[in-house]
Amino acid sequence: MAGVDEAPEVAALIEAYFHAGWTDGLPVVPPTEASIAAMLAGAGLRGDEVVGEIAGRNAEVTAEKLAINAVLAGCRPEYAPVVAAAVRALCAPDFAYHGPASSTGGSAIVLIVGGPIAGRIGLNSGNNAFGQGSRPNATIGRAVRLVMMNALNTRPGLLDRATLGNPGKYSFCFAEHEDGHPWEPLHVARGLAREDSAVTVYASNSLYQVYNQLAAAPEPLLLCMADALGNLGSPNLRGFNESLVVFAGEHADLLAASGWRRKDVQRFLVEHTRRSVADLKRAGRLPGPVAGADETTWRYVFEAPDDILIAFAGGRAGSWSACLPGWGKKWTRSVTVRVDAPPVNRRTA
Amino acid sequence: MKLFDPTSTPVLREVKLARGPERLDGLRLGLVDNTKFNSDTLLAKLAERLRRRHGMQFALTSRKRSPSHEIDERAIEALRSQADLVISGIGD
Repeated sequence: MAGVDEAPEVAALIEAYFHAGWTDGLPVVPPTEASIAAMLAGAGLRGDEVVGEIAGRNAEVTAEKLAINAVLAGCRPEYAPVVAAAVRALCAPDFAYHGPASSTGGSAIVLIVGGPIAGRIGLNSGNNAFGQGSRPNATIGRAVRLVMMNALNTRPGLLDRATLGNPGKYSFCFAEHEDGHPWEPLHVARGLAREDSAVTVYASNSLYQVYNQLAAAPEPLLLCMADALGNLGSPNLRGFNESLVVFAGEHADLLAASGWRRKDVQRFLVEHTRRSVADLKRAGRLPGPVAGADETTWRYVFEAPDDILIAFAGGRAGSWSACLPGWGKKWTRSVTVRVDAPPVNRRTA
Repeated sequence: MKLFDPTSTPVLREVKLARGPERLDGLRLGLVDNTKFNSDTLLAKLAERLRRRHGMQFALTSRKRSPSHEIDERAIEALRSQADLVISGIGD
């Protein structure tokens, strides 16, 4: 199959994509002229438009390559605006693509979709929001990863040097609930209008589900969250972290009923996500022997409330929420972009 | 049935490489610290060793925003004007 550019039937074509190294390890949907054109139409882009670029790699993503990868991933054309917005966000300078894409840390690129487009294209924000079973969730995240691999040359063992990686690297996309949100959606908290559709792109090194079935007030629930966020193995415990917290089910109800605002939750987590210098030294996260006031001297994981992104998703039943420790705000920052915003760079390739 | 190539090739840009120095003696040394753990310590030791062995003069250190970020143009200009040789590090 080496070097083929045609195949007699679909099964052979799928094998040819494997053989070329153009898949994520799962079978792809072979594109056609028509499906690529439909994907471009869905995105509202011409094939030669540059959707984003990573200057340090001399790499560009044209709309044509984005469309091919979106078809390969199994996207429907109406998903294309979300894929394009996510790629623009990945290429934003603040995201600092090279680190989270290539580090041994092996971060997943988490896509949080808010606004009307989520419902319009059927993105799952409910039960199993992080799991399998929803085509837009599965294929939009997958398309972004295929763009990273194929158009931005972020391939395992080459410019993707993940030590372990994580399953979220196949795909990690979910929507926020539109209704019943304890507060405003994430994209509104970050300055966009409620009627805007938006994608927030966030690099996370893991997903940790946080359980608490007895908490009747925010404080005990949030202490569990703070403990999970401040574990000694977390990559960034030195005050330059950014993390995503997703409240779900009964926890979201509890917070909504409590009268606490988003900022109250963020402030509580900033104040309580901390480790003593003694803990950090014993665990080798700080150099030197434990001494003097180390047991009562604290290192805070977060500097400011906005270092904690809060979203609302998942089933309405259950005592589960989640924290997704970040990859460190010094190295990368989450980026939120409007889905219907024009391309950053309308230059053509 | 046809295959469609999903890959992009790097955009070719002309880059002029500086000529490497023929000898190190007396050159001005610039350091680029990418802020990884102990990069400052290692670079300082290297600078000291080069001073002792070759009489190199430490000129400046440019500290990157993070290992992920590219070095900015202002820092490149400072290194270009103040140093004859630049060491960048470190990886892991």
